[in-house]
Amino acid sequence: MPDSPPAVAPAIEARGVSKAFPGVVANAGVDLRVKKGEVHAILGENGAGKSTLASILAGLYRPDEGEVRVNGEPAHFGSPRDALARGVGMVYQHFRLVERFTVAENVVLGDPHQPLLLSTRRAEKTVAELGEKYGLPVNPRARVEDLSVGEEQRVEIVKMLYRGADVLILDEPTAVLTPQEAENLFETVNAMAAEGKSVIFISHKLSEVLAVSQHVTVMRDGHVVARAETASSDRRSLARAMVGRDVDLSVQRAEEAPGEPLLVLEGLNVAGEGDTVPLRDVSLEVRAGEVVGVAGVSGNGQRSLAEVAAGMRTPTSGRVVVRGVDTTGKGPTAARRAGLAYVPEDRLGTGLAPSLSISENLLLTHPRPFFLKRKQMEATAREAIKQFEIRAPGPDAATRGLSGGNAQKALLARELSDGPEVIVVASPTRGLDVGATQAVREILDRRRRAGCAILLISEDLDEVRSLSDRILVLYEGRIVHETSGEEANVEDLGLAMAGSSEH
Amino acid sequence: MQVHLERRLETRTGHRALVTVLSIVAALLLGAIFLSLTGASPLVVYTEMFRAAFLSFYGITDSLAVAIPLILTGLAAAVAFRMQLYNIGAEGQLYVGAIFGSWAALALAPGLPKPLAILLVIAFGALGGALWVLPPALARAWLGTSEIITTLLLNFVALYLMRYLIFGSASFLRDSTTTNFPQGKPFPEEAFLPVLGLTRVHLGLAVALLAAVLLWVLLGRTRFGYDVRVVGDSPGAARYAGISVRRTIVVVMLISGALAGLAGAGEVAGTSHALDPSGLAVNFGYTGIIVAALARSNPLGVVVVAVLLGGLQNAGSALQSIPGGGGVPVEVSFMLQGAILLCALAGELFVRYRLRLRRGLPDELTEGARP
Repeated sequence: MPDSPPAVAPAIEARGVSKAFPGVVANAGVDLRVKKGEVHAILGENGAGKSTLASILAGLYRPDEGEVRVNGEPAHFGSPRDALARGVGMVYQHFRLVERFTVAENVVLGDPHQPLLLSTRRAEKTVAELGEKYGLPVNPRARVEDLSVGEEQRVEIVKMLYRGADVLILDEPTAVLTPQEAENLFETVNAMAAEGKSVIFISHKLSEVLAVSQHVTVMRDGHVVARAETASSDRRSLARAMVGRDVDLSVQRAEEAPGEPLLVLEGLNVAGEGDTVPLRDVSLEVRAGEVVGVAGVSGNGQRSLAEVAAGMRTPTSGRVVVRGVDTTGKGPTAARRAGLAYVPEDRLGTGLAPSLSISENLLLTHPRPFFLKRKQMEATAREAIKQFEIRAPGPDAATRGLSGGNAQKALLARELSDGPEVIVVASPTRGLDVGATQAVREILDRRRRAGCAILLISEDLDEVRSLSDRILVLYEGRIVHETSGEEANVEDLGLAMAGSSEH
Repeated sequence: MQVHLERRLETRTGHRALVTVLSIVAALLLGAIFLSLTGASPLVVYTEMFRAAFLSFYGITDSLAVAIPLILTGLAAAVAFRMQLYNIGAEGQLYVGAIFGSWAALALAPGLPKPLAILLVIAFGALGGALWVLPPALARAWLGTSEIITTLLLNFVALYLMRYLIFGSASFLRDSTTTNFPQGKPFPEEAFLPVLGLTRVHLGLAVALLAAVLLWVLLGRTRFGYDVRVVGDSPGAARYAGISVRRTIVVVMLISGALAGLAGAGEVAGTSHALDPSGLAVNFGYTGIIVAALARSNPLGVVVVAVLLGGLQNAGSALQSIPGGGGVPVEVSFMLQGAILLCALAGELFVRYRLRLRRGLPDELTEGARP
């Protein structure tokens, strides 16, 4: 009896939901059932239709076909407010908070039950209580503009709880969090589930899904391709379902002994500039055919290190030598001329100019003739799009419209095009889905095999461990730990990253 | 039925042009309301304006004559807009260009061969405009000071400087022979820009058109134009690429100021043949901002828009003499200018978004813009 409702209706349910946008079918006949008190993960790559499904459940979009049911009752949401009235609330990837308002003011904003004369006193009390109950510590009187990203997310969650949400949809909630903040979020999610709330946890990160959810629904190209109890599923099968083929994110290391040192940093001291952390007496070398990974928690001098190596910043003392040429403080162009390529962490805004086209962006770090050769630029762009499998409408497409993975490929296409022997990369797979991550790591691995010296600076410890032949740990601007890739031990690395002085 | 805004995936040049044309139509409709309220017939007034501006030979040439400074100030604003810089000071740079040009005409030109004299006047005009924008440019590049404020405030300094030179002092530029109302010293013939026949169209038109074409090539086809776009789009990417953000800011501002200065020199050497503070202070600089906005910072578009707005200004004075019109005030043309700018700015929305009507049918393919 497939059509008869089960004994206890699911807290929220999607039945045969389809949704098309011009040229794209975002959801095709999607079924989803989330029980009361359950953490249900929706796993899928970027563009798999996860966010569209979430937006339909939360009343932002209306489905073209199919229906949403809440506690077994059909629900026709005209707006997110309708959904919230039925107890369904969503925390978006981009927060919707008023910066200049306090936490409590944000929480009561748009609350239909507020009296004419706003009173935040009750809200302040409730915010404090909710924070206590679910492990969401926020000061109700703090201004949102003064909060960290993690705190802002807590405000969003508290806002939904305050409005009485029983089903909470979290869209890629950990994308903006540090590992510690993510850990706290998992605890909150579990506390909410224990209170009988249902949590829909959207993510493309396998490890998170395995850590936090009881059920998982895997989506690909708008379809549900797998459903499983999390406890009885393994990493590999979920990854295969998500990507549609086998993925190999295993460790890659150099097979041959490294050659000559191509990048040498000697006794570098760099002053902190703006919000960047100073470097103190950093020395390292990267040899041909070797990947040296620099691990560390965000904000420990990574950006200073990358920029000083790339010639964008002048050290107060010390030297940067690229293939025997002293490029210390001589500017990014001199470093490039010596054979160094730099792939910054900030793709759009530093690595790429967002409003400029792909073909224009491919010229950014190359010598430019006084009169631009449009035809040639376009041909180069077509070639790069083909070779690096960049999914883009064409060479004239603005890079801001590219997905993270495709933007990264465009950036790599440019930086690797004139055969650099030294590559400095910062967080190259941050925010990328599994498929793109694999592609980027393969590109880097191929370069290592070709004899490049690669300095990999990343806050993602898994990434550093999976690619590096040697690993350094950066803490408060100093290198506090060094180990070979093979001998690296997560616990030791973690302690060093946390600044433990055992090392 | 609901109206929804939907973000366009890409903006096309055709769209932009269409939106500009529709903005003008909307502004005319808006103006019609006010004309009706004052008792005039909008249709008669508009027909008369069009006739006066574009249907007779002298109408056309007078419109072109007004368009000359507007092209140059329009280019001045456009080149800075391209880099997200807002030089609001073309007005003041035009005055200083006129002062420098006048000095060159009176002090250097007498006795020189005409081409050389004219070249000097033009060069000094450009120099004056560039010098006037230099302090704001340096402050912006090194201190991050908003160029909007500094360039705007310097307009008033330039205005009173120009008035002081003629009305308030016995300066070199003031005509010492007249005891009547103070006025600028007449230029020697050598410094007069050649005019087309008996019209008021002077050599400045060729200079303005040449500047527009050069700027179009410079911004669209050269390394410099590329650097300008990168700096304007994302200073972080420029720094990463090794493009000097400061140098680019200063160079673009200097070009902008020089263009506005050219407009000033063109006016004194081509039209008034003396430094005429009252005749110059007719908002050419500010109107240039409107021109650049309507042309969406495209140098060739600036030429078209400047001619249109030149016609509008030219027609304004013809309105007072409409037979039986009861004297439509000249301010109508300025009101229309303002209305056009407002509509163009509002129209910007439609360049980036499109309207979608959707009915309440649940199974229709629908799409809501994200709030």
